Amino acid sequence: RHLSPRLTPSEGLARPPPPPTDNCPNGSFRPSHDSVEWEGRSLLKALVKKSALCGEQVHVLGCEVSEEEFREGFDSSINNRLVYHDLFRDPLSWSKPGKALPGGPLEALRALDKRTGSGPATIALDSLSWLLHHLPCPILCQTLHALSRQDSCPGDTLPGEQVRVLGLLHEELHGPGPLGALSSLAQTEVTLSGTMGQASAHILYRRPRQRPTLQTQWFSILPDFSLELQVEPLLESQPPSDLHTPSVDPTTHLTFNLHLSKKEREAKDSLTLPFQFSSEKQQALLRPGLGQATSHIFYEPDAYDDLDQEDPDDDLDV
Amino acid sequence: MAAAGTCGTGTRSTGSMVAAASTNNVTSFQRRGPRASGADSGCSRLVSIAGTRPSVRNGQLLVSTGLPALDQLLGGGLAVGTVLLIEEDKYNIYSPLLFKYFLAEGIVSGHALLVASAKEDPADILQKLPAPLIDDSYKKECDEDVCSHKMEPDIKMKIAWRYQLLPKMEAGPVSSSRFGHYYDISKRIPQELIETSKWHGFFLPEKISSAFNVESCSLTPGYMKLLQFIQNIIYKEGFDGSNPQKKQKNILRIGIQNLGSPLWGDDICCTENCDTSHSLTKFLYILRGLLRTSLSACIITMPTHLIQNKAVIARVTNLSDTVVGLESFIGSEKETNPLYKDYHGLIHIRQIPRLNNLIYDISDVKDLAFKLKKKLFTIEVREFLCLSSQS
Repeated sequence: RHLSPRLTPSEGLARPPPPPTDNCPNGSFRPSHDSVEWEGRSLLKALVKKSALCGEQVHVLGCEVSEEEFREGFDSSINNRLVYHDLFRDPLSWSKPGKALPGGPLEALRALDKRTGSGPATIALDSLSWLLHHLPCPILCQTLHALSRQDSCPGDTLPGEQVRVLGLLHEELHGPGPLGALSSLAQTEVTLSGTMGQASAHILYRRPRQRPTLQTQWFSILPDFSLELQVEPLLESQPPSDLHTPSVDPTTHLTFNLHLSKKEREAKDSLTLPFQFSSEKQQALLRPGLGQATSHIFYEPDAYDDLDQEDPDDDLDV
Repeated sequence: MAAAGTCGTGTRSTGSMVAAASTNNVTSFQRRGPRASGADSGCSRLVSIAGTRPSVRNGQLLVSTGLPALDQLLGGGLAVGTVLLIEEDKYNIYSPLLFKYFLAEGIVSGHALLVASAKEDPADILQKLPAPLIDDSYKKECDEDVCSHKMEPDIKMKIAWRYQLLPKMEAGPVSSSRFGHYYDISKRIPQELIETSKWHGFFLPEKISSAFNVESCSLTPGYMKLLQFIQNIIYKEGFDGSNPQKKQKNILRIGIQNLGSPLWGDDICCTENCDTSHSLTKFLYILRGLLRTSLSACIITMPTHLIQNKAVIARVTNLSDTVVGLESFIGSEKETNPLYKDYHGLIHIRQIPRLNNLIYDISDVKDLAFKLKKKLFTIEVREFLCLSSQS
């Protein structure tokens, strides 16, 4: 029931408590993963409502529910900003070609790409799972990438020209392959889960050249699809960090002694080593460049050296 | 026979010709002088191209990967005509760095570049390359880093005192000829360097028309177009020796980003048994053929962690020459493990090629970790916690 793909926190959620769609980076693609127990359509609708309230144009590609059902719960101001592209009623275009979108889902996606030319816009894909079942995964990835890129002249992008793509994905329907492929495309990934009737969102936010950040946010959706962020419930909550065992100290249970007591350390320091040279000799050996004109002989007598100056050969009678 | 030629006209008798030959003390075997080599630059030895050097082990021509530490691990550098495959880390943070180092090294050495990507525009990739460091600023970086690392500079080693001046990974700037430079990741490459360099870009969404036809051959259309583009550049610019009047030989550095990801049209990352499972392997095979017959070196980054079929990963490894894998600790339990706390990830040298050799050229050290500091990407031998001094 817990979806293992990580979630990235958006910048908005890092600061308490602005709503999550604020400050979404340009051209971002954000899939929301849901499961049977924690459904994501309400979150999608809440995000759509937020974008519409910001004055953006919202395009919705509806594949799984009918238009009436999707628009239910929104008031008229939001519904006016919502442009609904219906693939649910007639996905195979059996009725008259004028009514439904021709060409199937791929054409519908590409049409969305061309339509959003003016001002910031949000595209909500009602469900990526439906699209994954009808289109090959690479083609879907390429189309999504084209959607979220700035198609206008590169280098000429105004800050208002951002296109935000929100997608809903039912995790249980897909294997690790498509999930991994879509995750690698996404800027923000939101996985829904929860405990005890309280929904939580694990958000994984990938910034372009920085480490991804992971955050958990508890929330609830009100009947009018506004998003309310909440504090984590304290009762019987099991934040993931508690499940970690305390960090293992590798220096315990060793068969050799890693730590020295004070006496041992003193004994160690006072030991004379066999090849211990004076510091002048050490420095001279370490820096061989200096004083190479003549060769020096360093002699330091050992403890066992016999410093008798007599030549033992004198005793020989030769 | 040059000897007979110098003897002049045919009016001389054979006997005198022999006599003339013996007086000249010249045998009929003549060393081919500069005259015989024709249109070459006059030297019959190895042509020296900027930014390359011959390997000390097998004489192969090497180029730098942009990271001198990595060059050392690969046996001196990347051989010309081979492929360096980087297995991307999970969140694709560190592999673009290696990619950029390779390209930046190409610009600094004056090589031609070919950048191919399905995700980012090559012009944008080139804008984000790191700036090269001149020698003294690198030394300053090194020293201040060493000072901050050593907390007690007075404690010198007592037994192994001869090693106290030895750096950890022989990381010193190469003071001799220009092979291997250091870069500052926090700064961008100066614009004039990019403008003076010769580069070709391949951005897949621009090259593929919007009509997605069913591919007739077994290669996905993206790969096919890329191969044609590479072949075209190699032929046109004469990297395979096809334009002999070009005086200056140069190296072509090819960089392909995120090969095998769905953005290239390949579904090898999406399903386990896909129809086009041979597309990627065929691409690598043909690419290697193109590289072997031209003066080029290629770096490919591939998201192998997304590939579902493990057999494909093994085939891809066999089809590449040098394979380096990056494993970052983000999101894994190693992040909090005290054994790994100084590093950001592990680097695995999975394969080193045997070029004109019977033995491998691998380094002795297998336990390597990398760390991304503010300005540098360093590769170090991982020190075990148990064996470091406990003072």
